[in-house]
Amino acid sequence: MSTSPLLEVRNLAKRFASRQGREPAPWVIRDLSFSVRDGEFLTIIGPSGSGKSTLLNMIAQIDTATGGEILFGGDTIVVSDPKALKPGLDRRIGYVTQDDNLLPWRTTMDNVLFPLEVQGRLDDKTRAHAETLIKAVGLSGYEKYYPHELSGGMRKRTSLIRTLVYDPPVILMDEPFAAVDAQTRVQLQEDLLRLWEMGRKTIIFVTHDIAEAIALGDRTLVLTKQPTRIKAEHAIPFKRPRNVKDIFGLEGFAQVYEKIRAEIQ
Amino acid sequence: MTTAEQVIAAPSGPLLSHRTVVRLGRCFFALLLLAGWQWGADSFGSVFFAPPLSVLQRLWEMTVSGEVFFDIWATLYVSAIGFVIAVALGLLLPFVLRLSPRLTEAVQPYIFWSQGVPKYALAPWLILWFGIGDVPKLVIVVAQTFYVIFYNVSAGIRAVDQRLISTARVMGASERVIAKEVIWKSLQPFFYAGMKIAAPHAVGATIVGEFLVSTQGVGHYIEHARELSDTVGVFAGIVVATVLVLVINALVEKMEKVSLAWRPVAKDMMTN
Amino acid sequence: MKRYRVLADRILVCIVCLALWQVASWILGTYWVSTPWATISRFFISLWDGELIRHAGYTIEEAALGGVIGAVPAIILPFALRRFPTIVQIIDPFMIGGYGLPKLALAPLFILWFGIGIESKIAVVVSIVFFIEYYATLSGVRALDARLVQMAQLCGANERQVARHVVWPCAVPNIFAGLRISLPIAIAVAVVTELISSNRGLGYLVQMGAMNFDITEVFAAILGATVLVLAVGYAVDGTEAMLLRWRPSSDPLQQATSTT
Repeated sequence: MSTSPLLEVRNLAKRFASRQGREPAPWVIRDLSFSVRDGEFLTIIGPSGSGKSTLLNMIAQIDTATGGEILFGGDTIVVSDPKALKPGLDRRIGYVTQDDNLLPWRTTMDNVLFPLEVQGRLDDKTRAHAETLIKAVGLSGYEKYYPHELSGGMRKRTSLIRTLVYDPPVILMDEPFAAVDAQTRVQLQEDLLRLWEMGRKTIIFVTHDIAEAIALGDRTLVLTKQPTRIKAEHAIPFKRPRNVKDIFGLEGFAQVYEKIRAEIQ
Repeated sequence: MTTAEQVIAAPSGPLLSHRTVVRLGRCFFALLLLAGWQWGADSFGSVFFAPPLSVLQRLWEMTVSGEVFFDIWATLYVSAIGFVIAVALGLLLPFVLRLSPRLTEAVQPYIFWSQGVPKYALAPWLILWFGIGDVPKLVIVVAQTFYVIFYNVSAGIRAVDQRLISTARVMGASERVIAKEVIWKSLQPFFYAGMKIAAPHAVGATIVGEFLVSTQGVGHYIEHARELSDTVGVFAGIVVATVLVLVINALVEKMEKVSLAWRPVAKDMMTN
Repeated sequence: MKRYRVLADRILVCIVCLALWQVASWILGTYWVSTPWATISRFFISLWDGELIRHAGYTIEEAALGGVIGAVPAIILPFALRRFPTIVQIIDPFMIGGYGLPKLALAPLFILWFGIGIESKIAVVVSIVFFIEYYATLSGVRALDARLVQMAQLCGANERQVARHVVWPCAVPNIFAGLRISLPIAIAVAVVTELISSNRGLGYLVQMGAMNFDITEVFAAILGATVLVLAVGYAVDGTEAMLLRWRPSSDPLQQATSTT
């Protein structure tokens, strides 16, 4: 593991602009600092409404920060001018949002190829890579289906590999499995871990599910309610590759779980 | 945390508020249109573009002589009768069709296809039949206006909450009471939406009808002026026609507001 | 079985209508009301000898040129103004005015300006198609899901690619809803303008038939115009169904109106 962090957040703060004549809006996030190493799977857990999505939006450069800075590979990228935002920071930051946001007029395959197409990187090699990913998450045979013909879990998988296909060094995930049923969820978590083992990208994974945070992450940050700060940090010691289904039985799981639960409340 | 304070203070910054910009822009655009009109009159000659001032003068003369009221009366008279007949038919037919789904399904395509008939094209034939009276215009106005009402009322009847009907039945309401209290009340918004579109439609149809067959009315005034190459008259007539339609529009909107006071929000409904 | 019953019912209705028409022409005289058989045979004879097709061709030409000249800027404008909502707001009252204006009432003006040739008909068609299509497209551009745009930007799409891959497909259903309304109207409007003054086209055919007291000709020409209006409507529907296969199948009318 390299010592210098790939992505660092320093004293990040956010409050939404208030309308004229109204009280200033409360701080959503204040004095938030953490860092991520290259190849680390970081999970962030917090109560709902704790500004988790806002945090990721700021890192992904689709929302402005009110204060503080974000360092990526040594460059300061925090921006408070909405016009200077560079969504995805030139494709270096991938973002799997809570909604799948698939283009309804594109088939599964065409949705996965979309980033390659707009980046002008569509060739036989990248196409083959896309096909491998589609196979890896069990979507073979559904390449020609439109989003409305797919189940919720399949749509999630499609949106996941749409981000993986162009290989951004950092991938943000905002509760990507929140809206699916429990069984599909475990399946999706397994898929994600398997894909991650293939390349070990840096992932920042936001969730409100404690078990999910422990099962997936190398390290877990626990956030407070608004204004959001970091309350605690836990290293997850379980060895990889992991099996999500067995995680509950592992020694030490219950301990970490109880600790985080106490911290969230 | 100076950046935070700056961002929050920013909204009060711009020199002009957004609303002022929009208002100024609209005034500017209106002036631009007027200037374009004047420019057209200057460069193409008054045969093509009547200068705004002469149009105003003509409108004044028409008003003073009372001629304009005569034409407006003639147009409104035909529009109103045609409108009432169209509303009656458009309201009645869906209720009749409601009684028999089988009949509805059988006549549906024909009603749809009949909508494709260019009604104005019937004018020359109607003139042969009825001469240059009000009847050909009436037929055209009714035929043009009927569909708007008919489709809106049909959509309204389809949209009636079935649970309301069953609740009323459980409470012992007769079919007549249900039709009056439940169905009629629920389709009122659709009906008014239809009326709102149909009323200016009827006036427009009358004016076009008057182009084709007439000796009076605003449409006749415009067409007569065109035949005489009286550009000022054409412009003045069009101004009158436009104002007429816009006034009717505003009136219907006002009526709808009064009559639908029970509805929480005035929602716009689409037809066709 | 139900399908056949409906079909049988519809055929029955058709026969009843034709019978009523026939009876009416017997009672009132074929001089006033042409018989269905005479109308239909004249329609096909006229179709066969090319007369009807020639006049329909003029009408189609007027409607098509007017449709293109009216619809293309009406579709481009909301796209061009997508980034300038203030301008949209500024021109809105003028657009609403133009939309509400009885455009057919402008026909004499256009005839005055452009003469009785094809140009004046095109102008009337343009004035009608433009406003309908402008509002249809505008509602499509406005119904755009901002999250899809954000997703595309995250994937590295530039402004042009966002417009091409996200905004455009999003607006296509609304553009079609506008065309579904405006193109059949374009044909009807061309016919009406020909009625007012012209020397060719289906409207002229109607007018000539009436002048010569040839009611069969009048009916056949009106039948031709009706077929044309309906055909254009079905053609738009067909194209739309082909282009928009990605949509979940549901009521197209509802799709079109739900976004307004």
